[in-house]
Amino acid sequence: MRKRTRPAVMNGQISQRTFQRLLALPPPLRLRTFSILNRPPPNYAGHVPLTLVERGALALGSAFGSLRNPHRHDLIASLGEATAKPYFISRLRKAMLANPTGRRILRDKPRITSQTMSLEWLRQLPDNTVGRAYAAWLDREGVTPDTRDQVRYIDDPEEAYVMQRYRETHDFTHAITGLPVIIEGELAVKAFEFANTLLPMTALSLVAVVRLKAAERKRFFETYLPWAVSNGLKAEEVVNVYWEEELETDVEVLRARLGIEVPPDLREIRKVLRDKNKADMAARDAKNRLGAGMGV
Amino acid sequence: MASTALFRRVLALPPHLRRSVYSSTATHTGASQPDIYDVVCIGGGPVGLSFVSALRSHPSTSALRVALIDSQDLSTARTTKDTETYSNRCSSITPASLRFLKQIGAWEHAKRGRTQPYHAMDVWDGVSGSKIHFDSVDQQQTGLLDAVAEMIPGSRFQASRRKYQVEDVGVATMCENANTTSALLQRLHDLDEERLNERRVFDMLEKTRVESIDLGPESKDEKSLDLSQWPIVTTSHGKIAARLLVGADGANSPVRQFADIPSPGWDYNQHGVVATLHVDRHHTVQDLRTAYQRFLPTGPVALLPLPGNKASLVWSTTPQHAAKLKTLSPPDFTAAVNAAFRLMPVDISYMLSPTSTTTPTDELAWRETATPAASTGLPRNFPRIASVQEGSIASFPLRMRHADTYTGHRIALIGDAAHTIHPLAGQGLNLGLADAESLAKRIAYGVDHGMDVGSCWTLDGYNSDRWAKNNAVIGVVDKLSKVYGVGSGPVVWGRSAGVEVLERLGTLKGWMMGAAAGVK
Repeated sequence: MRKRTRPAVMNGQISQRTFQRLLALPPPLRLRTFSILNRPPPNYAGHVPLTLVERGALALGSAFGSLRNPHRHDLIASLGEATAKPYFISRLRKAMLANPTGRRILRDKPRITSQTMSLEWLRQLPDNTVGRAYAAWLDREGVTPDTRDQVRYIDDPEEAYVMQRYRETHDFTHAITGLPVIIEGELAVKAFEFANTLLPMTALSLVAVVRLKAAERKRFFETYLPWAVSNGLKAEEVVNVYWEEELETDVEVLRARLGIEVPPDLREIRKVLRDKNKADMAARDAKNRLGAGMGV
Repeated sequence: MASTALFRRVLALPPHLRRSVYSSTATHTGASQPDIYDVVCIGGGPVGLSFVSALRSHPSTSALRVALIDSQDLSTARTTKDTETYSNRCSSITPASLRFLKQIGAWEHAKRGRTQPYHAMDVWDGVSGSKIHFDSVDQQQTGLLDAVAEMIPGSRFQASRRKYQVEDVGVATMCENANTTSALLQRLHDLDEERLNERRVFDMLEKTRVESIDLGPESKDEKSLDLSQWPIVTTSHGKIAARLLVGADGANSPVRQFADIPSPGWDYNQHGVVATLHVDRHHTVQDLRTAYQRFLPTGPVALLPLPGNKASLVWSTTPQHAAKLKTLSPPDFTAAVNAAFRLMPVDISYMLSPTSTTTPTDELAWRETATPAASTGLPRNFPRIASVQEGSIASFPLRMRHADTYTGHRIALIGDAAHTIHPLAGQGLNLGLADAESLAKRIAYGVDHGMDVGSCWTLDGYNSDRWAKNNAVIGVVDKLSKVYGVGSGPVVWGRSAGVEVLERLGTLKGWMMGAAAGVK
């Protein structure tokens, strides 16, 4: 394969002068038609520029892959990045820029990792604080604030940071709503996030409802989806919360400020139902054995 | 016998005194009898002055008795000698207006070193970044036949191609209003000097306030003068009767109110902020200059070139933003103007909101690193604004008004008295100058054909010539401002697609430029 030696930027200009440039649509809908043999240089560390065809294929592949195996968090991440452009991630970034706290977040660009969030310190905070709730939720679910997947497929560095921030604060949304990491809980959080951030990936993940059992699906449509939609719409943009500064705030105060109500505790409901089923099964077993012994 | 001697003594008197003895319409009587003029123009702005100059320059109308009334002292309407300061009231003069000013002999008196012709215009959308580039150099004939003709200089073939050449006058010329006004005043003064030996027919009544305008009184009997259908202007210096009263007296025209001509329209919820800026690079006289305009959802912001390293800013924005801009310190104002051209609309709105906690300079420094120029459509040669001229920041409210008719019995309206327009297309003064030209032509036609210059025979032609054209321009400019006032959604996509298409259709773009230039 003959390697082109001209710089990628100049090649971009040459391809612009071709016939396709004449048919190019305005920027929001412009097709990035550059050759895959000569990608433009990355805009930030880890950036992989994609053509429209590649992005479409990534979106489709990630969608079906994550439906088959919901534990593939990397596929969910790439689905999010592939479907965020052209409008949705820009809208979210502008929502951040319009808000004073959001602007500070974009200026400081804080990252949430196991290093920046010290769990020992969080655990010793008072009980009703956001930080304590977060640490308690992490312990209850058995997860850590491990480094999330890096954003790779979004071209603008600032929009890439917005996506990264959304991903890293997803656990905080879990913590203040109390929803667990099981599929049912994740779907409820995703529905809430769609109503709040309008990212397409959150809406597309709701297709995983087909993987729920009948009882779970019923519970989801009756309780958790209405909760998610109404709260997501009326709440403030959660992406504008400067979590690092809110760690010592009272959880109720924060919820009231954001306008979020707590949904019914999913683990409790499931535990109660599970215990009830177990009790019923045990009673039936006992009746059968008793019945067999009596010869009825 | 005594009466014959008296009669002979009366005949020996000089003519004006002789007339006053036997005539009832004396030239120097008391306040009861008004002074009669053929044309009285109220308003000494560029439009009124150009109208009067046109009348005085044209041979048919130079003998008409004309008065110009203005409440200001017109002799002080001069530009400063300082080449470093420019007034913030500048206008963009189109080639058609320039031709009119040259024709009446006023342009040669303008200080040419203070005017700036520009040859290109970059206009782009602040939301989507789609842009359009107008270049008058492109409109030149550069076909094969012209190239061949240039190779044989002095030939008849070259001479025959010359008639197809379009004179390169650029897109328009930036000129301070004071420069135009002083040039017109100089022309009027020169015309008076030329005709010193003739009977004085032109009176410039400056520092004269118009107290009221009424119709004349009923005539006492059949033989005395009947001025009951004539407008009588009561000024601080006396009464003036006008055969034709021309209102060039601005947006709140008393002449229009006297004539009961309604002027419907609406207020744009915008203020126009003007200032004189210094840019980072110095231009010589030979450099081709460009005008820039960016359409933001809050209103368009335009940077118009002036000689050297100066530029004129016209930024139409919300009243709240305008108020904030006027309170900013000069470095912050400069940063805000740079931001208006370079940053995203959300950043500009945040910078000018009353609740922002950081300074514009700070915000610009941060946001510029995060806003790539290609995504906002910034033209490559766009200069950086270095500083703002002290004391040049001002604002005025924007509105649209169009008088239902420009003429009435012995009444005509020209300029802002007839129409007010959004400044986004730089057409306000040019429409006024075209009005003045048209009215002067119709008056010349009327005089040549023996008409009463104040009657509908003369004036209807002016109305039919100008009203529809002005209405079209005002309408288009209004719709443009409304289309570009939308911040998101399908309208943005539609207008961006339209601009991208227009950018590539050379013929249509050339036609649009010609229409904007007022070329007939």
